[in-house]
Amino acid sequence: MAVPRSRVLDLMKRQCYVFRTTYNPERLRMGTRILRERLKGTAVAEYYPPRIGTIKQLRSLYPQYEIEDEKEEEWLEHMQIARSRGKQPPKKKRTAAESKRFTKKK
Amino acid sequence: MSQFRAKKLDIGCFINIRNIRDHTKRKVFAANEPEVQALRYIVRNTTFPQRVRAQAQLQLSQMHCYTRFTQIKNRCIMGGRGRGILSDFRMGRYQFRINALAGNLPGVKKASW
Repeated sequence: MAVPRSRVLDLMKRQCYVFRTTYNPERLRMGTRILRERLKGTAVAEYYPPRIGTIKQLRSLYPQYEIEDEKEEEWLEHMQIARSRGKQPPKKKRTAAESKRFTKKK
Repeated sequence: MSQFRAKKLDIGCFINIRNIRDHTKRKVFAANEPEVQALRYIVRNTTFPQRVRAQAQLQLSQMHCYTRFTQIKNRCIMGGRGRGILSDFRMGRYQFRINALAGNLPGVKKASW
């Protein structure tokens, strides 16, 4: 015995209500497939491991401890030595007259 | 496109420009994903008026290329290689071999029978 179409549609409607899907008896393309897709952005963005354990992070995490940055100190020492040898970067020109002094054509 | 790049280095693996670029693309993709999906829904929904769908399609095609998933490529986190990546371990085949033999990958064992 064939079941009338209206009964089947009723059943479909109930089914959609229960399972929270879109009631679409004409089978129109409504793009609900895209709404059903999961967002993968966060998983995708976590591919590369984050940068952790930098001196700055450690200092902000443990302000009670004195944390040395060996590289920075080495650099500062190097700069100190360079300065003592007269190899420091030139002074910043403050006025237009000063900055023009060395640009003249000879 | 450097306008999206983090001002400070924020990845702790092997670093070269391609890895940094790919990381930037991933972040841009994650930030724009809801918008892209919404536009794709409008485009695919045949019950919307044709004009709306065409506008959505135009908008989608005019978004920056970094917002597309196809731009993203898995790269080796140990050596930066772009080919021959085992995506479960995020490593190139040779780095995978070296690390597996050194015992750095839990549960990975050389097969022999």
